[in-house]
Amino acid sequence: MKIKILYTHERVKHPVLSTVILKTGVPLNILEASISPSRGELVVDVPASGDQLKAVIEALKAEGVEVRELGPTIEVDEEKCVLCGACVSPCPTGAITLTMERLEIDEQLCIRCKACVIACPFKALSMASTSWEA
Amino acid sequence: MEARGAETLRTYEEINEKIKRGDAVVMRADEFVEYAKRYGVEKAAKDVDVVTTGTFGAMCSSGAFINFGHTEPPIKMWRCWLNDVPAYKGLAAVDVYLGATAVSETRGIEYGGGHVIEDLVSGREVELRAEGWPTDCYPRQYVETVITLEEVNQAVLVNPRNAYQRYAAATNSTDRILYTYMGTLLPRYGNVMYSGSGELNPLTKDPGYETIGIGTRIFLGGGIGYVIGEGTQHNPKAGMGTLMVRGDLKQMNAKYLRGATIHRYGSTLYVGVGIPIPLINRRVAETAATPDEEIYTEILDYGVPSRSRPIVRRVSYAELKSGRVEVKGETVRASSMSSLPRALEIAETLKRRIEEGEFTLTRPAELLPTVREFKPLEVKRYEPRVKDVMTKRVISAKPADDVKTVARLIVEHGVDHIPIVRSDGRLVGIVTSWDLARALAEGKQTLSEVMTTKVIVAKPEEAVDVVARRLLQYKISGMPVVDEEYRVLGIVTTDDLAKLVKGRRGAP
Repeated sequence: MKIKILYTHERVKHPVLSTVILKTGVPLNILEASISPSRGELVVDVPASGDQLKAVIEALKAEGVEVRELGPTIEVDEEKCVLCGACVSPCPTGAITLTMERLEIDEQLCIRCKACVIACPFKALSMASTSWEA
Repeated sequence: MEARGAETLRTYEEINEKIKRGDAVVMRADEFVEYAKRYGVEKAAKDVDVVTTGTFGAMCSSGAFINFGHTEPPIKMWRCWLNDVPAYKGLAAVDVYLGATAVSETRGIEYGGGHVIEDLVSGREVELRAEGWPTDCYPRQYVETVITLEEVNQAVLVNPRNAYQRYAAATNSTDRILYTYMGTLLPRYGNVMYSGSGELNPLTKDPGYETIGIGTRIFLGGGIGYVIGEGTQHNPKAGMGTLMVRGDLKQMNAKYLRGATIHRYGSTLYVGVGIPIPLINRRVAETAATPDEEIYTEILDYGVPSRSRPIVRRVSYAELKSGRVEVKGETVRASSMSSLPRALEIAETLKRRIEEGEFTLTRPAELLPTVREFKPLEVKRYEPRVKDVMTKRVISAKPADDVKTVARLIVEHGVDHIPIVRSDGRLVGIVTSWDLARALAEGKQTLSEVMTTKVIVAKPEEAVDVVARRLLQYKISGMPVVDEEYRVLGIVTTDDLAKLVKGRRGAP
């Protein structure tokens, strides 16, 4: 499960993730981070589900940060995609599978590295960054 | 032995009669492979009249001749742009050739000739801009307007090299990502990229060129096209034949003709080609029945920037298409630059068109040549190599040497790079003046504590510009020149390269 964490300027100095990791014992994995003096945004993979996932989200909220669930990471424009495999083997985690009908992206494996976006000769792939913007 | 192209099983006329009656037996190449496996080639050859093939991939040697018609007053265009992409104007007044790899002067490789062709085929308006060479008969100096495919007189796709019989696959031995025309190649043999549709590939199904030649009617970009001869770099001996083709752009469909940009490489055109293979004799039936398991290509190491890239291994299209390939003892992912689903769709569409009587076959006026030399371009002018510009007197040190002694060496000899070699002369590391400054500041004692062990090196025979590019890539100012055994022969630095430029201009 991937989530986005938004920091306000009051919380930006706090070791929020470390606190949550120690508290819940879930090894959070940071996929993207942009921290400035006034605010911060992180995309984090939470390798947990059910109650454990709920515990992580509660712990994050207790630290005073905003938590949002991420929708699909990579969007495929089916008009533009010609079903070649230019994006498939360059994916470092093997998250992309090409069938005779479509391109399938495993959200669990995707680490948002954009290797596929770069590799596509038709600009058919894009990072779905706007879907969770406020 | 019967002649090449002998029509001993059936003639073109007999096949076309059956097509007109609607009872020709047509199979896609993949279906025919299965059929022949099941019933044997003998029966398959008897039962089936035509096998259809298909491929859809990047074909850089593609482009279109366009005639715009004359303006009032007329212009003799000598420079011309379509959506800011320059078209070749070494032709008559309003004829141009728009090449697939030409790039936009405003947008760069993001938009090229291939994209203009796709836009035209999609019915979109394209901006035409041209400068004239005013004469008494062509007074106009400049024109700017928009055109559509429908409005121009002719728009003919004429591709000098399409539909490679097979293509070498690519991998990467270096420690950095390579962006090549074969796509993204992950470091340390991290993946394999390939191209071509294997058992669906047109020329692979008739490698003796018994049915394909000048005048062969084909599926091209969704419309009807013709083979107009062997393609450039046609190399039958290596099993890498190619085709030169033409077709009316006005009949084509953007589904089978797509502009593309390959990251950090350039723009190109994806072209859909499908060729019907009439089973005129037993040999053709046999080659048409060849399965992916028996169609081989090589995996080349694109980490070596040379005309002759080392062969990593031989591989079948069956293995490539499985998506997993063994390279250097590891199983890595393989994927294709060309589209297999679309290749299949082309073979299927061509099959249906033949079955429905819309597409008949033609006997080539002349078959493709089976002998043709594929020659390299030898550079006859002097070109400096690393061994010509490198500094041969190298100050080197041993791993156990002490930092201060080596710092003194740097000062005494006025050098910036000290290769570290073992007692047998083999390179194990490098230190720069900067490394030594840091070592002294941090109180380190021996070189082995501070040296860089992953050394970027040059080979003596390498071209100077390749090495200059490598220096820039790794943001370094010099590298040891080593032989095959990693013994240091010299050192090549940015200073050596700067001297070269000075020399070239003839300055003292």
